[in-house]
Amino acid sequence: MPSRKSQPSAEPGAGLRRRELLKIIGLGPAASILPAAAAAETAAAQAPASASATAAPQLKSLNRQEFDTIALLSDWILPADERSGSASQAGVPAFIDDWLAFQGDWLSAEIRGGLAWLDLECNRLYKHDFSRCSTAEQKKMIDRMAWPHSAAPEDSHAVAFFNRLRNLVLGGFYSSPMGVKDLPYLGNQMIPEWNGGAPPAVLARLGLTEEEEENQRWLRQRQAEGHWVQRPLPPARRS
Amino acid sequence: MANVIPSPKEYDVIIVGSGAGGGMAAYILTRAGARCLMLEAGDWFDTAKDSTMMMWPWQAPHRGASTPEHPFGYFDACVGGWQLKGEPYSVTPGQKFMWWRARMLGGRTNHWGRISLRWGPYDFKPYTRDGLGFDWPISYQDLAPYYDRTEELIGVFGSHENMENAPDGKFLPPPKPRAHELIIQRAARKLNIPCIPSRLSILTRPLNGRIACGYCGQCGRSCATGSNFSSPTVLLPPAQATQLLEIRTGAMAREVLIGRNGRARGISYIDKKTRSEVQVHSKVVVLAASACETARLLLNSRSPQHPDGLANRHGLVGKYLMDTVGSDVGGYLPQLTGLPPFNEDGVGGMHVYMPWWNYEKQLRHQMNFPRGYHIEVGGGRGMPGPDSFGGSERYLGGGYGLQLKRGVRKWFGAFIGFSGRGEMIPNENSYCEIDRTTVDEWGIPVLRFHWQWSEHEIQQARHMQQTFQELIETAGGKVTYSSRGPDWGISRGGEIIHEVGTVRCGLDPRTAPLNAWCQAWDCKNLFVTDGAPLVSNADKNPTLTIMALAWRTAERLASEMRKGNLA
Repeated sequence: MPSRKSQPSAEPGAGLRRRELLKIIGLGPAASILPAAAAAETAAAQAPASASATAAPQLKSLNRQEFDTIALLSDWILPADERSGSASQAGVPAFIDDWLAFQGDWLSAEIRGGLAWLDLECNRLYKHDFSRCSTAEQKKMIDRMAWPHSAAPEDSHAVAFFNRLRNLVLGGFYSSPMGVKDLPYLGNQMIPEWNGGAPPAVLARLGLTEEEEENQRWLRQRQAEGHWVQRPLPPARRS
Repeated sequence: MANVIPSPKEYDVIIVGSGAGGGMAAYILTRAGARCLMLEAGDWFDTAKDSTMMMWPWQAPHRGASTPEHPFGYFDACVGGWQLKGEPYSVTPGQKFMWWRARMLGGRTNHWGRISLRWGPYDFKPYTRDGLGFDWPISYQDLAPYYDRTEELIGVFGSHENMENAPDGKFLPPPKPRAHELIIQRAARKLNIPCIPSRLSILTRPLNGRIACGYCGQCGRSCATGSNFSSPTVLLPPAQATQLLEIRTGAMAREVLIGRNGRARGISYIDKKTRSEVQVHSKVVVLAASACETARLLLNSRSPQHPDGLANRHGLVGKYLMDTVGSDVGGYLPQLTGLPPFNEDGVGGMHVYMPWWNYEKQLRHQMNFPRGYHIEVGGGRGMPGPDSFGGSERYLGGGYGLQLKRGVRKWFGAFIGFSGRGEMIPNENSYCEIDRTTVDEWGIPVLRFHWQWSEHEIQQARHMQQTFQELIETAGGKVTYSSRGPDWGISRGGEIIHEVGTVRCGLDPRTAPLNAWCQAWDCKNLFVTDGAPLVSNADKNPTLTIMALAWRTAERLASEMRKGNLA
């Protein structure tokens, strides 16, 4: 982990001035304001995102077969569409592999156990692992796991596994560059003036255009009626 | 460890701690011409260079997830947490308490939410009002001028509302509320709850050479432009500019050194790099190490003149430890789904809040608990992270494929959360003392905590749960996260990180270790400027009050020193 501690300087807090910061952020990737160590970390973290799921990165918690099944399931959960690529194109399998290694045994057991069950069940029904099932067979299996409200009671463990996996895939995808663009999340930037966020048309659609003034009028009226006004303290009580 | 390095010179004042209280003491005392030495147990921190502002999740290890070293995630500026390697503490079996330590220049001011609420006249005389807890030796009027000066120095935005027991301050203009905050404001009005612009120490206009906020919403990552308040941004630079302040980092204070006359004559600390003890001397000692660390220092400062520890003649040091009552509810607002995208990061924190609104009912004995809480609001189209989708099946109904992808886009920004922050009344069962069997890695005896909420706090948490659920439902939303009895989701002791009150001030040396100037009754050249002197813990986050009180204390100290009264 890169250290964020720097050496003593004569003036703490001195350094970046706003204009410089705006310039830097406007011109290039925000990473350029980071200390060198963090920037190196950045490059390393971005690498798996651009590699495809089959590019065989060093695995940290899953074996190769589990990794490939995760990639397959991830793309069932978040496939590509006209706005963005699929979960594996966003590097989600590598994210999950790292996440399981980092979170420790309890989560790893849950996910790897779910994968083991999935292959077991596919072998029972279709005589091969999930990854070698036909698209229709895979869809059947996923439909058993993906709908918490209508799933069969005997599939409750599979539903819990898939809930966990779905949330991991969503977390991995939407915290990646592809996911941020997909939402889209438009922040993480310096702006010169704050105008409330939502544009006037959105506020109008929500019926909030006059809300601030209305609230002020109401507050002043309530206070005029004697509510929320300061009352004198009683005489000091001796303990 | 046998290596003792005596310091060659005597300082006017040694200040232990560099956070809100220590930073303010240094700012005032150096302006008054005192030569000061500041001891900080953590490392140096440069709020600009060490900032993680503008980083994306994929630029951090594990997408910035929380770790034991960074409980609030990689991006959080604070170096420290509830557990520190080599620095244990113990808790009575069966009780829950967690002790946050910030080990860095500026302490917790690098971490806090910048919520800067003045305490009101009621908050200084709680015993007089309801017969519970204790009155302060001072009143709101005594502290008001120091609130004024503190706000003018650090910069606090807010609005003038003239609300009961929530005094207005010297405010910069508040930022406009976000869409979800306006919706909540309207719902609050229907429930007869006032909802007003929040009061945070973030610059909406340039102030004292600092530039205004860029509205990236990342105050917790250390502001690289210095547009929010932290001690290393606002208090330490002018103190250092006087050439009268020396700061030593990696200096873990061990005890207050006592002279034969029973007065403080300096500090013994462990230099963490060399693991050797260093003794430094001064005419006056100011403790601002955080409420529990200051109590620990006093209790560990035993001498023939003070056999039970310094300022502890009546066994009061460590007593009446308080935190803030917390309880949360989350949900979503369907009207915020499917909106066109926009940036609503805003300032790092809420733009509106709800001050306590039931004083009138309490006066008429219509509430089943005393004291109040304020409501903090969260929500909006914030930066997504790896943990953003926990429990998504509860609102998306599960599923997969393109339908799921469209669902996430639609739901982005529709979630809201409420946190209550309430007043705890000091009680006999919540305190800290020295653990007789354990030392930390520096050889310093550690603290043992005892913690118990009373029924007053539990009932308050229950009221929070009910109110927040009503707010969400009145706004047309659905609750997705809430808590039930018997404890109503009440936070653990120490979880809200507002520990105060272990070395309280008072008018009677038999009931308070400090006098009304936060000066030790038993040791006239010892002062405390952190959260330890606080007699009560109003629902208003303590940092602003700690600073106003520290200003008053440091001013008194300087004047007494000038008159020769501390020698």
